[in-house]
Parts: sequence; structure tokens; C-alpha cells
Amino acid sequence: MIDAQLLISAVIFGLSIGSIFFLMAIGLSLCFGLMRIISLDQMLYYSLGAYITYSVSLVTGSIALGVLGGMIVAAIASFAVERLIFLRIYDRDIAFTMITSFGVLIGGVGVIKHFWGLVPRPVMVPITSQLSIVGTDVPVYRLLLIAIALLVYGGLWLFLNRTIIGKAIRAGIESVEHVEGLGINVYRLFTLTFIIAGTLSGLAGGLYAPLIMVEPQMGLEVLAFVFMVVIIGGLGSIKGTLVSAFLVGQIVSLGSLVYAPLAQMAPFAVMLLILLIKPTGLYGTAFLKR
Amino acid sequence: MSATLVVKDLTVSYGESKVLFNISVTVDACEVVACVGRNGAGKTTLLKTIAGFLKPISGTVTSNDVSLLGRASYDVARMGIKYVPQDKKVFSDLTVRENLELGSYATQDYDWQKLTTYFPKLKTLMGRKAGYLSGGERQMLMIGRAILGNPKLLLVDEPTEGLAPSIVAQLKEVFRELSRKTALVIVEQNLPLVCAIAEKVYAIKDGRIVAELTDKAAITPPMCERYL
Amino acid sequence: MLNSLKWWWGILLAFSLLAMLRLFAPLPFVNEVLLFSIYTIGCNFLLGRVGFISFGQPAYLAVGAYAAGFYLYYFGTNPYLAILLGVLAGVIVSLMVGPLFVRLRSDYFALVNLALTVIIFYLMQKVLAGVTKGDNGLWFLANIASTPLLDISRPDQFFIFALLVAIAVWGFYKYLDDTLYGACCLASKLNEDKLQFLGYSNFRIRLLAFAIANTTTALAGAMYAIYLGLVSPEIASPARAADPVVVTILGGTGTLYGPLVGALAYTGMKDVISKLIGNWELFIGFLLVFIMLAGEKGIWGTLEPRLTKALFRERNGGSGSKPGISR
Repeated sequence: MIDAQLLISAVIFGLSIGSIFFLMAIGLSLCFGLMRIISLDQMLYYSLGAYITYSVSLVTGSIALGVLGGMIVAAIASFAVERLIFLRIYDRDIAFTMITSFGVLIGGVGVIKHFWGLVPRPVMVPITSQLSIVGTDVPVYRLLLIAIALLVYGGLWLFLNRTIIGKAIRAGIESVEHVEGLGINVYRLFTLTFIIAGTLSGLAGGLYAPLIMVEPQMGLEVLAFVFMVVIIGGLGSIKGTLVSAFLVGQIVSLGSLVYAPLAQMAPFAVMLLILLIKPTGLYGTAFLKR
Repeated sequence: MSATLVVKDLTVSYGESKVLFNISVTVDACEVVACVGRNGAGKTTLLKTIAGFLKPISGTVTSNDVSLLGRASYDVARMGIKYVPQDKKVFSDLTVRENLELGSYATQDYDWQKLTTYFPKLKTLMGRKAGYLSGGERQMLMIGRAILGNPKLLLVDEPTEGLAPSIVAQLKEVFRELSRKTALVIVEQNLPLVCAIAEKVYAIKDGRIVAELTDKAAITPPMCERYL
Repeated sequence: MLNSLKWWWGILLAFSLLAMLRLFAPLPFVNEVLLFSIYTIGCNFLLGRVGFISFGQPAYLAVGAYAAGFYLYYFGTNPYLAILLGVLAGVIVSLMVGPLFVRLRSDYFALVNLALTVIIFYLMQKVLAGVTKGDNGLWFLANIASTPLLDISRPDQFFIFALLVAIAVWGFYKYLDDTLYGACCLASKLNEDKLQFLGYSNFRIRLLAFAIANTTTALAGAMYAIYLGLVSPEIASPARAADPVVVTILGGTGTLYGPLVGALAYTGMKDVISKLIGNWELFIGFLLVFIMLAGEKGIWGTLEPRLTKALFRERNGGSGSKPGISR
């Protein structure tokens, strides 16, 4: 029988991982929903977020400033990539953009290696205190992660449902052509969405940095997981991404209680299962032909 | 005064196959022009090219002496030329009000009075999600959205397709009213409607214009039929 | 047709050139190029002909390698049998996961294959560590018996064997191109609806293509196992998942000789670049983006049309290049 305290601890742990997955996967999901591109380079903005957090916090001593810096750099980088690369290839097929974004990711890993080297960079945890929940000691920092993820979800919801630009984006997710036909410059929407995606990925990296090894391959290692979260939730669905992010987080966390090595594999097995039943993911719709 | 729309020698192809051959069309201000033809004749292709969604191989498209070619479709829309597509697709997840808000945002025209004059039903549907509208209501919403910003030209693609006769009659009146301020190019298979309101008819067959009828008296369904 | 020299001449020429390379380049290099190109041709076929992008080729490489490895470590010594087992394993796994995978949209497809790679990686590294010896790998170089005629336990003779296998593989794929099935694959990629209306089953076409491509990859895996004399989880590493895709594009997607050219360029560049710049990712990332933006045709993809035009201009009296294998 699993100890109740251990269980609560694992659930919180899973929720915190899920929060990070959500922040990273939402970028991929939005970009696909609106622009029909698979933006694997989001992993690069995630890595940049982590590395900038490291560098800035080294100089200023503040993780918060570091995360902010990470988000800014991620925003700038994603803006540059969108304008220079994606702008030219929006009309190509999805496999094409996926390969190209992968190239950007790999190249970016190289850039990171060039500036920061191969050695993993440690980032200190800003809040080391613990909170007692139902008798279990839980790290406050992890609770903070969960809170931030929910805040971001709420913020995104407000943006998409209460602002005119957000509504334009939702309309664009249904049909870009019809939005264009109204006289709205859709390319500005694309750029905005891409920057939002990149910034959130950067935020994820910065927040996660204290809990993991910040090293050049970090984006590649987490790629499969993030992509899987998006697929389970269904590409293009914001709610789906949240649900599946927390789901995968729980699978990994609770799974490691049961049998550690299996925990890494289990989410993939779940994904295959879901795809067997619903080939477009939990909430996805069959937007595209193959 | 320069014409609202002048299309000259337009040739358009989908990939390797040509669809339109040397099309020439003129539309004057506030004129109602109809394009008739069988399925696949190329009518939608023509409208889409004018609206900027397709690029022609050759030919010119100008409006009041300003070229439309090479412009993005949202640019063309901003110039006052609005395309109302055939697919009756509105933004399903948004409410009717939000659909209109997007139109207003794009044109900075927040005067919805004229819409509710033409389509009083829309007033009652404001809070409903557009996905739940009937075909006729969607058409009303699409046209309502398109006339925001007081466009000088409306390109309407098969508006009455699949609609009940009562709605078709309503649309006929709406088009008549609209043509007082806006030029209309209507692509239609419904010949009686077209012949009732059009001042000029182009018959398109296999990508070519086979007839241009400008004599109002000559515009009758049997006359059009002859050319198709 | 298959019997005529004319049909074979391209393949024979290509591999004669490669054989001559043996005189200038070190043996490990040419062996690496051969194996890598066999590894890549499966991916090339999937991407270029059927329209599937797979970030999970290492999975099938590992299947072939471990099947051969298990046999040689635990059961026997005949390398040919080991390779056969590797191929068989490839067929079995492909047909097991194929029916699910090929129904998916192209981006989902890329990912589930990556997922399979991760699963196999962890299986071999941790879960089945009892039999696979985990990260230490299975070492069986000593187990490989010397075979009559061609002793493939020795690298120089292995090279000849690999060359022969490659020629056979290329012959097979070229033959495939010429058959109705080959045309169906291409049609399935270009317009699956039309093909369906014609009465063909997209699913069956894709499943078969999936099996063919991944069995070829498993063959490469089994050969890698023999060549290296060991197999470890490294071979299924997800980090290397994009290598075949990069090489495919580099060489020219959908072309017959693309994988050869790509493997040659890639392996060659790896050595040179590593010595000069040392930052492999930077180079390959920018190269990939550059190729994609420049028209995604790749090296051979750009060269081939020009070469065929130049070579066949006299014969056809300037009526254009010969019917394209490539796209």
C-alpha cells in the first residue's frame, strides 16, 4: 500500500511538472491552431529561457529577474525566427515546416553550446521553504509553478475570449482565409501568436531551471514529452493542452512511485493507446488532411 | 469617372491546368453585374482572383485605376472590395455579435444600424454562437459583416444556394437596396433572381466569357440559358 | 527489364565509384557510409515516396540490431543467420505497429515513431537490462564465426558484403519505382482522395511501404551489429532520431541515389566539421534550415535533373530528361 503522504507528495509533484509541460506545450498548440505549423523550435526558446535565467541570476542574484530576462530573450528570438524563416514558409506543407523548425532547434542548440559550453549550469531554487498540506511537507516553489500555470491559462482565456485580437486569433484558428477577407492583416496575428508562444516557452524554461540540469541538450530531451502532451490533448486545443499536460504530469509522477524506469515510458504508451481510439487526440479535430 | 472594377485579359490556372482564359469584365459604380455559368465554369475562381486569394498568370485587375494584383487579400478588402464566399462559413465559435465586431474592427465602422435595417433578424441573434445559425441566417451574417465599412464593391458567390425561397426573396430586396451605394458582382446559378436585379450579365462557359448582356430587356432566364 | 544492363547501369556506376573510394578513404569511413546509406534509404522512401516523415527510425535500427545481437550473444555464431533474424524482427515489428501508425496524420506519425524510439530505448537500457546488459551493451565480436567465401567478421571483407547488399537493396528500390506499386505510393502521397476513388486502399499501400522501409532499416541495424561486434541502447538514442531525416533531405528526398550522396556528405562533413568547428549542432542546424529555404531539393536532388538533361540530350534529340525517378 502506498503511503498517503507519499501519494500527496507525488500528486503535487505531478501537478508541478504538468504546469511546466503546459507552458511549453501551449506554444506548440497555438502555433499549430492558427498557423498550421509544428514549431519544434519552441524547445529552443525554452532552453534560452533557462540559460538566460542562469546568467542573469548569476549577475543579479535574483531568479525572478532571471526568468523575466529569459522571457524577454525568448520573445526576441521567436520574433526573429518568425520574421526571417516562418514568414517565408507558411504556405508549405506541415512536414516541411516541422523539419525546418527542427533545423532551427538544432542550430539553436549549437548556439547555446557556443556561448555556454557543455557543462551543466546549476540554478538555485529561489524559495526553499515548505508548506504543510494535509500533513505532508510540500515545496512552496512547486506550488508556485502550479499557481503560475493556472494564472497563465486564465490570462490566455481572457485574452482569447475578451479582447478583439484574441477573438481574431480564435477566428483565424477556424479559417485564416475568412479573417483575411474581412480586411485583417493575418500576418500580424501570426507574429503576435508566435511571440506569445515563444515567451511562454521561455517562461517555462526559466521556472524549471532550478529544478533540472540546464545543459545544451535540454530542449531535445524534453521534445518528445512536450510533443506528446500536445498530441494527447489534440493540436490546436488550449483546454486540451491543459488537461493533457496535467495528465502526463501525473502519469510520470505516480508512475515513478510504482516503477521508476516505466515512468518515462508510460506516457508514450498512454499516447499510443489514446491515438488508437481517437487518432486526433483527446480534444483535437481533424483539421488537416494528411 | 473610372470604373469600380476593370478586369482585362485575366488568365488563371490551378497548378498546371488553366481555368480562366482571357477574361475581361467591367463593373461601374453601383452597378449590379451577374456572372452565370455551370458548375466548374470558373466563376468562383474569377471572384477569388479579384479578391486577392489567387494569383493570375496574366492580365490586369484594377479598381478606380488602382491595380489590385499582387496585393494581399486583406489589402484588397481594405480598399473597399469585399468577398462573400460560397461556403457560408462564419466563425462558429464566436457569437454573432463577435463576428460583427471583427468586421467592425477591420473597417473601423461601428455603425450597425444599416445592418439591422437590412437584416432585422440579426438583432435577435446577437448573443447566439454563429455555429448554431441556419443557412439563411449565416448568409445574412456574412453579408452584414461584409457591408461594414461601406465597401464600393461586393463580390458575392452563390448567395442563394441551399436557401429557402422566402430568404431568397428577402436577399433580392437587400441586394436591390445595397446597389444604391455599392456595386455588386453576383455569381449565381439561380437565373430568375439574377435576371430580376442585374443590369449586366456575363455568361461564363469553360473558363471563357461567352456572352455579355447589357440590354436590360434581353436579360431573361431563357436568354442566359442559351449561352450555357 | 531487370536483366538488361541498361537498367542496372546507374546502380552499378554509383557503387563502382563507391568501391573506388575505398582506395582513397579509410575502410571505417566507407563502411560507415555504406551502412548509413542503407539506414537512410528506408527513411528516404517513406518521406519522398509516401509522404511520411518519421523521427523514429532508430527504433527499427535497434530492432534489427538487437535481434541480431541476441542471437549472436546467446544462441549461435552464424552472422548471416543473425542478419536474417534482424530482418525478420523488422518485418514483425513493422506489421505490429504499422496498422496503427499509418492511419495517423503526418505530424502525429512523426511523433509516434519517436515515441516508439523512446520506448525501445528505455526498454533496452533499463527495463530489460537483465538480458540486454543495459548501457554496457552486448559484446559478441568473438562469437561471430568466420564464414566461407566472404568472412564478414573481418572489416575489409565486410565491406564487399555490404557493397553487394547495398546493390541488391538499391536494385530492389529501383524495381519498386518501376512497378505499379511504386506509382501508387507516389499517388498516395500526392492525392490520397483521388487514389481512393480509383479503388486503391491507401491504408494497404502505406502499410506495405511502412513495412518495406522499416525492414530495410532493421537490415541496416543488423549489419551494424555485425560490423561493430556489439549492440547497446545508444543505437536507439532519441537524440539521433533526426539523423536519417537530415541525411535524406541533404541528399535529396525521393531520389534514388539521394541516400548515398547524403550519407557520403554527412559522414564526410562530420569528420571534417568536428575537427574544424567542433560545434556539430550549429553546423547541421543551419545547414538544414538553409537547404529547406533554398528549395529542399538537396544535393542529388539538384544535381540529378541537370545531369540527366546533359547526358540524355543527344540521345533524345533535346526532348528533355528521361522520365523522372526523382521528384
